[in-house]
Amino acid sequence: MNAKMDQQDACDLRFGQVGIANVRIKRVDAAALCEELERRVRAAPQLFSRAAVVLDLSHLLKLPDDGTVDALLEAIRSAGMLPVGLAYGTSEVDALAQRMGLPLIAKFRAAYEPADGGSIAPPAPSAAAAEPPRRAEPVRQEAEPAAPVSTLGAQHYEGTVRSGQQVYARDRDLVVTGAIANAAEVIADGSIHVYGAVRGRAMAGAQGDEKARIYISDFRAELVAIAGHYRVFEQIPKDLEGQSVRCWLEGEKLLIAKL
Amino acid sequence: MTAEIIVVTSGKGGVGKTTTSASLATGLAMAGKKVAVIDFDVGLRNLDLIMGCERRVVYDFVNVVHGEATLKQALIKDKRYETLYVLAASQTRDKDALTQEGVEKVLEDLGKEGFDFVVCDSPAGIEKGAHLAMYFADHAVVVVNPEVSSVRDSDRILGLLASKTRRAERGDGAIKQHLLLTRYNPARVAVGEMLSVKDVEEILGINVVGVIPESENVLAASNAGVPVILDDNSFAGQAYSDTVARILGEERALRFLEVPKKGFFQRVFGG
Repeated sequence: MNAKMDQQDACDLRFGQVGIANVRIKRVDAAALCEELERRVRAAPQLFSRAAVVLDLSHLLKLPDDGTVDALLEAIRSAGMLPVGLAYGTSEVDALAQRMGLPLIAKFRAAYEPADGGSIAPPAPSAAAAEPPRRAEPVRQEAEPAAPVSTLGAQHYEGTVRSGQQVYARDRDLVVTGAIANAAEVIADGSIHVYGAVRGRAMAGAQGDEKARIYISDFRAELVAIAGHYRVFEQIPKDLEGQSVRCWLEGEKLLIAKL
Repeated sequence: MTAEIIVVTSGKGGVGKTTTSASLATGLAMAGKKVAVIDFDVGLRNLDLIMGCERRVVYDFVNVVHGEATLKQALIKDKRYETLYVLAASQTRDKDALTQEGVEKVLEDLGKEGFDFVVCDSPAGIEKGAHLAMYFADHAVVVVNPEVSSVRDSDRILGLLASKTRRAERGDGAIKQHLLLTRYNPARVAVGEMLSVKDVEEILGINVVGVIPESENVLAASNAGVPVILDDNSFAGQAYSDTVARILGEERALRFLEVPKKGFFQRVFGG
């Protein structure tokens, strides 16, 4: 133990909810995009002038090449907004973001499926080429092409997570054998399983995995969230209180049901 | 030789830490142990009042930590029990007057002096004073009242005990945690105004080591400077005696959990 325990840390690092507008591209036309956004900025300068936005390419059938994406980003800038990243999509978008030195904003994680569904082959081959070691093991039946296949297994936490404590399972599921106290938090990039009472908060899919789920054997939670979609319980619903429940996402909707 | 260090803590203020520290230390001394009880609440010193030695404080804990007095000079011998000593807090300093090294040295020296137990009366909160009180502990008595805010604060303290103490940092075995429920009023529990023992045990996930009933005798004893454990006639005193016995490893059933039934004379004459 050091004698400096009462010194303040240099910074706090935490994920917060920040409002960033999402520019979802429907057709690749930099000039039209610029014009459209300029109109929006003029209409509501307070709101949109120098607003941080992320570029969402998920609704395009085919990912544009780097030059085109550059042109789209430039179009956003010249309209008066500030593009700060790409929305999280397929592994191709990931690679694109890396080439451009831009972050992927998980909160705006786009749907993996192309907009019109099915007519386009999933980008599985390129994904396989990009990450061979992860793909080496048998792929699950549904074969979600871009969903990371976890080889890490779950993180186990024995005992109770006390008020004020936070447990985070990075890139994996979290299993807790005890309770989650009031004002305690458990967070996982994957799913969460709790075999005690949850009185605090449980947040699954912290990096945006909408397939993540939460299983609780004694439900009294203050808040549950999956991939940024959350529900707060000021009152615990009578029909769920103390019950075993599962939580999952259906579209934008966070659903909870008894097991 | 090292002393067993017991911290009495709670997070929340006003739940009965100092009352518990005084009775616990006295109870251990009654069992023949050599005991020192230290007030860590620098700036808000109370323990000396409850122990009834406030007029005999010459040197205090801060003086010892700073080397301005020796341990022998600062330890106040209890007037009732030979093997019980009080180390008072300083009323004129603030909590920054304590240092980790200084506290460690005092605790080590008490071990060398042949003390069996050191009871550390923690201040409320989770700041430096509370941190230092719990840091070197082997046992923790977490004092909790049967109400939700106290339970939550105790939960926080249990978390800190499991992570921010020397034992936790060195990985040499967890601190032994004892949950002590104080100000328990069975009548109010019965009508649902207060959390029950079971509620509190369930929320915190550990069992109680004792339940001290709410009692007028506690206030009276405090004002008289007599630890309530010495009041054999009060339920609170008896409950503290049971608690000390349990901490020393004896098995005793919990008492005073039911609404007291009025006796024949009380029914006749009112009570």
